[in-house]
Amino acid sequence: MEYLKPLKLKELFTMLKSSGKYGSESAGRGKYIRYIAGGTDLAVQIRDSGIKPSTLIDLSAIDELKGLSLKDGTIRIGSAVTIAEIAESKEIPACLKVGALSIGSPQIRNLATIGGNICNASPCGDTLTPLLVLKAEFELASDSGNRLVRAEDFFTGPKKTVLKENEVLKAVHIDKNNCTGVSFFKKIGKRNAQIISQVNVSVYMELNKDKKIVKIRAAAGSVAPVPLRLKGLEEALKGAEVKDFGLEDIYGFVNSDIKPISDVRASSDYRRRVTASLIYDILEEAANVN
Amino acid sequence: MLINFICNGERKQLDVEPDMRALDVLRDVLGLTGTKEGCGRGECGACTIIFNGKAVNSCLLYAPKLDGSEVSTIEGIKGPDGGLDPIQKAFLDEGAVQCGFCTPGMIMSTKALLDKNHKPSEEEIEEALSGNICRCTGYNKIVKAVKKAAENE
Repeated sequence: MEYLKPLKLKELFTMLKSSGKYGSESAGRGKYIRYIAGGTDLAVQIRDSGIKPSTLIDLSAIDELKGLSLKDGTIRIGSAVTIAEIAESKEIPACLKVGALSIGSPQIRNLATIGGNICNASPCGDTLTPLLVLKAEFELASDSGNRLVRAEDFFTGPKKTVLKENEVLKAVHIDKNNCTGVSFFKKIGKRNAQIISQVNVSVYMELNKDKKIVKIRAAAGSVAPVPLRLKGLEEALKGAEVKDFGLEDIYGFVNSDIKPISDVRASSDYRRRVTASLIYDILEEAANVN
Repeated sequence: MLINFICNGERKQLDVEPDMRALDVLRDVLGLTGTKEGCGRGECGACTIIFNGKAVNSCLLYAPKLDGSEVSTIEGIKGPDGGLDPIQKAFLDEGAVQCGFCTPGMIMSTKALLDKNHKPSEEEIEEALSGNICRCTGYNKIVKAVKKAAENE
């Protein structure tokens, strides 16, 4: 196995040109290149599959992918920023902080990166629903320039994204105007620490002084092939008061949006019920926020 | 490939295979067998080391990532007089060690916690140790030991 560690994006693109194609799983037949950042998912995938890439390209040392900053009303999170840095940052809205803090253990969060969580594109990734409700945009870089893609449009299936060959996630942008309200993240797993979500949900709301919902964006993870905005729920709750609806109502509102499967972690029916319960809990919490 | 790093205060230059893990480098190349392999997939914390000031799982860290870093392992933990560190003393005093396999990892996570937080609450201790699994004890004695170590540091 070859291990490359570029320090600049330009260096990366030069390496890609000379190394061949990214991610073509033709192990044995040709080159199989994978990117590595923290490695906390990838090292386990390689171990479990027994398939070693011919080349690992370490993105974590690339200058342009580093740093978390607030500038001109935009929070910019470099894709190589660790989950621990996000959990500890004062700039980051509550739902994303709580989602980040719910990932793995301190040891995992110290290595894992937000870029890794996004590009791994697992339907249960715990930073993904927060990024959806914060209307984050992803800056993708390639040799031929940069483009911005909305978080909502980035994921195309389990482990699948719109990233093209030889394109990398450079940074996440969050407009501060999309973070003026309150936001929440909740997940259910089999225990509290070190656990993969059976379901996770994020809700962003702007409430007036009577606790009426002026604006709402909600999303759920692990209930469809991609993390999903809950448009039916948003439609139903907009203009309502946070305490207007009971659990059964919420169940009805989310039911048509989500398409959970039964798998090793939870049944489809359980996921449907828990999605509603988590939303209900968030609305209760919002009712008690001053 | 050649890597340079600092391990327990000593400069090391090693020729390693890129697909080796930091855990293999420490145990098999440097003979530092205090760092244990439990699950090998980042879940149990027995392989915890301090990497650039932060607790990480050495089973998830490829050897090339060690290049240019500073690492501490359980072998590098000692008190100012060269004897036991207050954390090690507290673990012994509180009987926080049973079979001992998880202990090096527990101590490294505790060290990383106390290095940045001298007076952790019980909640902060539990959070800091949430990536370390012990299958013998009920964690109470371990949490007690961390509290005691914080008082004595």
